Parts: sequence; structure tokens; C-alpha cells
Amino acid sequence: MERRVAVIGVGWSGFAPQTADVSYKELMFEAATRAYDDAGVDPRRDVDSFITCAEDYWEGFSIFDEFVPDQLGAVLKPTCTVSGDGLHGLVNAVMQIESGLFDVVVVEAHSKASDILTYEGLLKFAMDPIFTRPLGWHPYALAGLEMARYLYDTGNTEEHCAMVVEKNRRNALANSLASYAADLTADDVMDSRPLFEPLKELDVAGLADGCVVMVLAAEEVAEKLADKPVWVLGMGWANETISPELRDWCRPVYAEIAADMAYAMAGIKNPAKEIDLLEVDDRFSYKELQHVEALGVCDYGEASRLLEDGVFDRDGDLPVNPSGGSLGVGNLLEASGLFRAMEVVLQLRGEAGRRQVQDVEVGVAQSWRGLPTASGAVVIFGSEKEVKKP
Amino acid sequence: MSVERSRLPDEIKHWYGDMICDYTYTLGIAGEKFFTGLKEGRILGTRCPRCGAVWVPPSIYCPDCFEELTEWVEVPDEGIVFSFTIAHAGPDGKPLQEPEIYAFILLDGADGGLLHKLGEVRPEEVYIGMRVKAVWAPEAERKGAITDIRYFKPVE
Repeated sequence: MERRVAVIGVGWSGFAPQTADVSYKELMFEAATRAYDDAGVDPRRDVDSFITCAEDYWEGFSIFDEFVPDQLGAVLKPTCTVSGDGLHGLVNAVMQIESGLFDVVVVEAHSKASDILTYEGLLKFAMDPIFTRPLGWHPYALAGLEMARYLYDTGNTEEHCAMVVEKNRRNALANSLASYAADLTADDVMDSRPLFEPLKELDVAGLADGCVVMVLAAEEVAEKLADKPVWVLGMGWANETISPELRDWCRPVYAEIAADMAYAMAGIKNPAKEIDLLEVDDRFSYKELQHVEALGVCDYGEASRLLEDGVFDRDGDLPVNPSGGSLGVGNLLEASGLFRAMEVVLQLRGEAGRRQVQDVEVGVAQSWRGLPTASGAVVIFGSEKEVKKP
Repeated sequence: MSVERSRLPDEIKHWYGDMICDYTYTLGIAGEKFFTGLKEGRILGTRCPRCGAVWVPPSIYCPDCFEELTEWVEVPDEGIVFSFTIAHAGPDGKPLQEPEIYAFILLDGADGGLLHKLGEVRPEEVYIGMRVKAVWAPEAERKGAITDIRYFKPVE
């Protein structure tokens, strides 16, 4: 990259299935306060621009972007909202700095899912109003359909998906932020209530409230302010068609394209060897296997074998979702990608506590926008300014 | 922490609100043609002159080439079950009394197909690759909607 960019501060609030004592504004204020303290910045004096990631329908507001400046310290400053996942916002923050326009930019995303009384209704509103909605399906049916075809094409099995749930919810036991940590087994997942077969109740991440705020800075500022700046080494994003009827039903092509773009930027040729840690979207268990394969760690159909061999365990060769993922931490809606990015940052700073992965220098966060989309982003982070050649 | 937090349940209050959001969704050029076709018992797609793809659901632009599409072709109301799921929950998440079978049907001669229900078949009999055919609502009851097809059933 022409102008290097680093994450110099992270903050969070929540995460919990219910945050009834604070409003979404207070959730944001709390996370922002932590992030600014971590970065050592005063938002009124030091931050040049603010980006929030939100979708009006999740919030229950029209023109939600107007409701965000106060609680971030952003009043009378450049502020905008990216109507997308937190990683999309992060990518835009990086570009604002790379372009030379700003030196310090803040990105925020949150979920106040517990305020939503009609979650199914909102999801239904995301489906095509003419072709799909009149069928009267719950939107998760689309996940069941995709899962069935993905397993059919790859030879990965329902049992492998259940193993992902076991791994992630157990990983979450070492994450104090996790709402859904549990010492459960793949058998418990297999025995759980069928929803949209082969998708079962425990294959689905539960909703959670929470907020993540990140402070990003240009190289010269980052080196002055941060003891352990975490560098953005590459990024990419892509959208496939919104029509499920016209898509690839096995490969998440959006993730392949985003990863290729990010790898090219970071100079990564062999992802399996050059990456130390992955945080990928796992809001449905099969999505983790699908995303790991799309990220080029292995061929399609091979993630199951690596999973069985323990490669993706926290102490394996390539830990996947050591945070516990969305299955363990909870589905944070648009904050899902930013929460993954925060986990990578904490891991690269060596501040992940009991879930710390050893010898990590390069970590990848990947996001998917959720049903019924086929879009997402990939961001590569490093504790050093460049990926070391093997 | 930065915020004083209440731990007394009685102190925690909410305000209830609802959004009244009613819309009309314009079918558009492609939609009108497609749904008029359904009323007539025909499934129509658009063919791309550049890549040759036949898109169902149709649009007036090619999602691959961005070519404007003007050529309409009728495709058979038959195809294969590309994927299927046994649904145990309804639109609100509540359990269904009887499981239903939802599928993506890849239509013969089309690059694409339709999401729809399967009928006249038991869940344990369905497989990926199974040949199915549309069962249409009686002509007088068709409204120009996706539900003019009642469901797809196995081809004998």
C-alpha cells in the first residue's frame, strides 16, 4: 500500500443476548470510550472522520446515519454511514487514510438485536418481494437449501458442520465476551431440532447485542501513538448477484474474489502457509467450512479433513475462529465483521488472554452480509508491516 | 466502566414502536412479461445475445455481460431438483404442523430456475437430481404471481 494504515485502538461493549439497561447510543458511547482510551486519542481533537455501519431496518429508524455523531464524539466532523457490514466500513476507513484525506479515522458497527421484536419479518423484507416472499418461507430456508447443495457437491457432511459448532462454542469458553459459550458436543448438534434440513437449531448462531469501535491511523501517527500498531496488509470485497436462482450454490464466489484481491495486495501466494489465524463468518455452521475453502486454505471438500485432523483448533496449525465465532459469541448483525477484525487485532497484539494463539503475525478477518446476500469482505492484518516470506 | 449501569429490572424501561411500511413493488418490463406468462401457463426467460445464457428469473440486462436483453424464450416447466430442504418452521419461526419440502428447481434449457415447494412426494423420496414438473393452478384462478404454480411434483 502507498500509505500504510494501522489499527491503533479497539473498544467494545456488550456482548450479550440482552442489553436492556443501555440504549444503542450508550452501547456505542461505551465502546467508543474504550477504543479512544486504547488508542490514546481524544475524538474531539484527534479524529478526522467517522464511519458507522448500519442498516435502517435493523435499527428501526429512517436515515439512521443522522443518529450517530453525538455518542461517538463526531458532531460537526466528517461522518458517514456505510450500509453494510463492519468490515466494509473498515475498508472505507483505510481508503480515506490512504488517499491522504485524513490521518485518523474511526469505524463503528453495532447490534441492538434485542430491540428487534420482529426479526423474521425484517429478514423476510430482505428477500425478493415478487419471486420469493409470496412463497411464505422463513429466510433461513435459503440457508438449508444452500447447505444441502454445498454438502452434496463437496462431500463434507452434516457431522462436519456439527463439529464446527462444537469447536466454536468450546473456543468461546475462553472468551469472556462470548454469549453462547458451551461445552457441547457434535452429537448434541446432530440431535438438535431440525429447522430446514439439513440445517438444525444448533447450526445457527444466536443473536447478540454489542458494539465494536476501531481507531485507524496513518503510519506516522500510528507509530507515535501505538505501542503495538496492527497493520492493514490487504483488503478486498465483492458482491455476487442477489438472485439465489442465478448464483453458484456451492462456492461463495464473493469470498473468493475478496480474498484474491486482499492476497494480491498483501503479497500472499500460499494462504495456508502464510496466514497464522482466520476469523470467518460462521453464522450458519456450514458457512465456516465454505468460507475457509473459498479463502484458498484448501480445495473445496477438504476443509472437513483438516477439521477432523484438528488443524482449525485453537492449538492447531491454522486456528479458525479462536474467538468462538458467531456460533460462540453471538450473531452481532452488522458488527459481525468488525468483531472478527477486533479478535484478529487482539490476537496479533498478544492480548487475547486465555484464548491467545501462539506465534501469530498474520491474521485474516472475513465477513458475509448474511441471508439472503452473497457478498462480503476480507481484510488481512499483520503485526509487522509486511508478510514475511516463508 | 464509562457508563453507570442499572441492575434493577424494575428500573429498565422500553418504549414500544412500530413502523407502518406498505409498498407496491413495480414488476417492471421483465416482471410483467414473466408474470403474464405464468398466467398463461408458460415460463419465460431472456436470452443474452453475447453469452447465450437464458436467464430465469428473467431481466432486461445480462448479470454476466451487462448486455441489454430483448429476446424472450419459453422454457419447459420441467427440470431437476438442484437442492431441497425439509422445512419444519414457518415464516415466523414457529413449528409447522406438517413438514414442507422447499426446493430450487433448475429448469431445462435455462441458466437458473425457480424456488418453489415440492408436492405429491414424501420427504424421504426426494433427492438432488430428481426430475420434477410444475403443477399449475387452474387457469381461472391464476393471478400472474409465482403462486400460479402450486408446486413442482416428480415426473412419473
